[in-house]
Amino acid sequence: MSDLALAPLATTAPAKRRWRVVLAVAAKEWLELFRDRRLVWLCAFIMALMLAALAFGYVENARILREREAAAQADRELWVGQSAKNPHAAAHFGQYAFKPLSPLALADPGVDAYVGSAVWLEAHKQNETQFKQARDGGVGARLGSLSLAFILQTIAPLIVILMGFASFSGERESGTLKQLLSVGARPRDILAGKALALIGAIFALLAPAFIGAALALVFFVDRERLSIADQLIRLGALGAAYAAYLAGFAFLALGVSALARNSRAALVTLLAFWLANSFLAPRLATDAARAFAPTPTWQEFRAGVAQDKAKTFGHDESHPAFVAFRDETLKTYGVSRIEDLPVSFRGLALRKDDESGYVIFDRHFGALQSAFDRQDALRAAPGLLFPLLALRPISMAFAGVDSRSQFDFATAAEAHRRDIQNQVSDNIIHFAHDNSYVAGPELWRKIAAFAYRAPGAGFALDHSVLPIVSLLGWLALAGAFALFAARRLRPV
Amino acid sequence: MSSAFLSSAFLAGMRFEARVMRRDGAIWFALLILAGVALFALAMGASRVAAQQAAIAAARADETQRLSNLQKTLAQLQQGETQGKPAPEPPPYRDPRNAAFMGGGPAAAVAALAPAPLALVATGQSDLLPPAVRVTTGSKDSFLFADEIDNPANLMSGATDLAFVVVFVYPLVILAMAFNLLAGEREQGTLAMTLASARRPGAALAGKLTARVAAPIAVTLLAAAAGVWIFAGWERLASPGFAALLAVVLLYGLFWAALAAAVDGLGRGSAFNALTLIGAWVAITMILPAAINSIAAFAHPAPSRIDMVLAARAASTDADRARDASLARYADEHGGGGKPAGGPQEMTLRRLATQEAAFQRVEAIVAEHDAQLARQRDMADRLGYLSPAYLTYQAMADIAGAGETRYRAFLDRIRAFHVDWREFFLSRAKAGASLTAQDYAAMPKFTQADEELVGRAPAGLAGPLIGVALPALILAIFAWRGFRRCRI
Repeated sequence: MSDLALAPLATTAPAKRRWRVVLAVAAKEWLELFRDRRLVWLCAFIMALMLAALAFGYVENARILREREAAAQADRELWVGQSAKNPHAAAHFGQYAFKPLSPLALADPGVDAYVGSAVWLEAHKQNETQFKQARDGGVGARLGSLSLAFILQTIAPLIVILMGFASFSGERESGTLKQLLSVGARPRDILAGKALALIGAIFALLAPAFIGAALALVFFVDRERLSIADQLIRLGALGAAYAAYLAGFAFLALGVSALARNSRAALVTLLAFWLANSFLAPRLATDAARAFAPTPTWQEFRAGVAQDKAKTFGHDESHPAFVAFRDETLKTYGVSRIEDLPVSFRGLALRKDDESGYVIFDRHFGALQSAFDRQDALRAAPGLLFPLLALRPISMAFAGVDSRSQFDFATAAEAHRRDIQNQVSDNIIHFAHDNSYVAGPELWRKIAAFAYRAPGAGFALDHSVLPIVSLLGWLALAGAFALFAARRLRPV
Repeated sequence: MSSAFLSSAFLAGMRFEARVMRRDGAIWFALLILAGVALFALAMGASRVAAQQAAIAAARADETQRLSNLQKTLAQLQQGETQGKPAPEPPPYRDPRNAAFMGGGPAAAVAALAPAPLALVATGQSDLLPPAVRVTTGSKDSFLFADEIDNPANLMSGATDLAFVVVFVYPLVILAMAFNLLAGEREQGTLAMTLASARRPGAALAGKLTARVAAPIAVTLLAAAAGVWIFAGWERLASPGFAALLAVVLLYGLFWAALAAAVDGLGRGSAFNALTLIGAWVAITMILPAAINSIAAFAHPAPSRIDMVLAARAASTDADRARDASLARYADEHGGGGKPAGGPQEMTLRRLATQEAAFQRVEAIVAEHDAQLARQRDMADRLGYLSPAYLTYQAMADIAGAGETRYRAFLDRIRAFHVDWREFFLSRAKAGASLTAQDYAAMPKFTQADEELVGRAPAGLAGPLIGVALPALILAIFAWRGFRRCRI
């Protein structure tokens, strides 16, 4: 630090002069960061890595999007190309609902590879999403793949630590801290200057990647299907969340550096925290979430559904519920024989059975999602101390690739299945006079193709309140720690 | 190794360093953390294995229950027929005599992949691939892609297992122990004394390094042995798989020790060493594996599994259309309105023809997909030699029986069983024969030769072991040269 820049300053300096100290410290920090060629090369490498990750993400997204669009079209052709058959047989043939890919999956692929890409919409049954991409990746793929989120969540904090661990301790070791304090610079102002420099470096690190992502959105998003404004709002939220996450690391690095005996101790402490945050905490939090909010196995889940479904009649005409429904229907229409009904009793029975099933599926799938939500909340709870736990759900939610977005898609797909069931049952009710009744392609065409519009950024915000509070808490806590450490700053 | 090497300098260096380490609380703390995390990971692995075993047991109990119910209904139907009081005819999809329907679902056989003896060591793909599937006469897409229920965010985070501890945590402890052996002494001013006090300074330094890296390596090996003994039983310790596990952990540890020593041997300061080694750790354990996966996926993208389903559905609609065309021709040739004779058996045959068409198309697509995935994995495997972390992770998954080798073998066995299963039911359905009690007793069973897994080490580990050992050896040579040329 140049003595000339600080010489006129005193502890009682007015705000304008103190601000000059902050800027002078920041400028000196920037200069040092730039002079350290290792850090410059490292930052350049990370930037290149982020841009490469974005490019990989973009290519992968485009490929998946093409595949799913082609599959949706092919499935539609199969549906309308069915020959004349009983509408209930067509309901059994079913349709597929393909999950559209969120454009921001190019930055954060989230849970997409672990939830599957399509749901089969068939008669009588709500199905889970099938075809998890992660199954095909092989065991090595569990070590992750390059994505902007992966780099920003795990490697970027390390860069911030490397840039900041010697901020105070290095100056103390070289004797410049004593010099700085002796000319009247307040520790708080020095902290502000160093924080400004570090946060500025973080912005410089984030900017190319986020500008690249914004350009990808502006030029390549299908504006008929998606709102570009909504996508940019989502990207802005992502940028803010990552900035808060990394700024917290900057404050932490400064605080630890101010308190540590020497730079080595500061580095070891910060690296231990980084390791705990990036590797241990997510896995341990997942283990805890599994232990405290267990979910059923597939067998248990399906047995629970089957148990409730056994109370409905399905196609079993000897079931007491079927007999009761038949008697009630005859009474409603004022006739004594099924043959005398003005509508198809089979159609009425199918509709009744479907409606009973809807309640059961809502209960079981809703309970399952609630269990997932409890697990996610438990995982995010320690986010105040281990910010990755708070950042990840925010990042996935705003990128549209979290389990809540998945549930929204699955709910829409199920609504479409119910629409198919209701339409085919209504057709049978009104047109089927005997068991040989068949409907033709006009009915298949009348049933609309599945069209899903993902919810807006407000949906992500609604489901991210806890992690957002945790992340802001982390930033505030790290800032307070840095201030506390600056107050205890020792010149030697 | 010469006797001179083993003589005083090396051993004295080792003894001296061990004495220093014994008095360092931070070292004890790091070693305790490492052992604790390894044991915790094995405990988690044991609970995961128990859950897999429970899922398999539940699937088998369900199979037994289904078959028992079908056999009971079959007995009631047969009893009614013999007593002249036939029971109400069940619909074909619930009729235990109907081979076309029973093989397609109600009588489906459970094909299970029991956890391997050392499954607690690594999760591998076991949380993504279900431990049991229900094989039917349908095409593979209808049963092979069932998934166990799990929160996708849990799957994404990954499991705490020994493979994770070994690949990520273990090297950091080794690096922390060894990164500044020379640099630290140089900075403290004791290096000159150390070099002066030994007749063979290089050997003395090697002894000191050995003491430093032996501690975390030995702790990890001991924790692995203790964990396997506690959570899986002592007999697992005597298995070839466990010996392979020890070899993998040892070699991986030696690689990191050699890397730390090679960097230390460059003669730079502690800060340089620390930053360089952290950079190497990030590159080897995080960036390279991620880049390898991304490059392999980019070069050979995994094909969409949806194609399979669409092919099966297309086969079904094509068969429908063929039937319509046949009906139209029949009506044309027989004066309109008529339907071909045959009744329910005719319907069954058409249904089977549709199934067969779907089966053939799906088989072709599965083969095509498998070939594409094999290309992707081959490329990833080749690139994997760039990262010892990648190789170690794969080797540990193979030892745990949760890697690709065992799953591929499982899928091959399912493929063969599927053929037998289809043959059993479809031959009867095509012949119009009803299933009998004898048929139920003679249904094909999916068997797994678990004992063969216990007796031998997992195959294919030689490549990964050499892939880790070779760079370790090269780095050790660099380290040795650095130690010999050591400057004060």
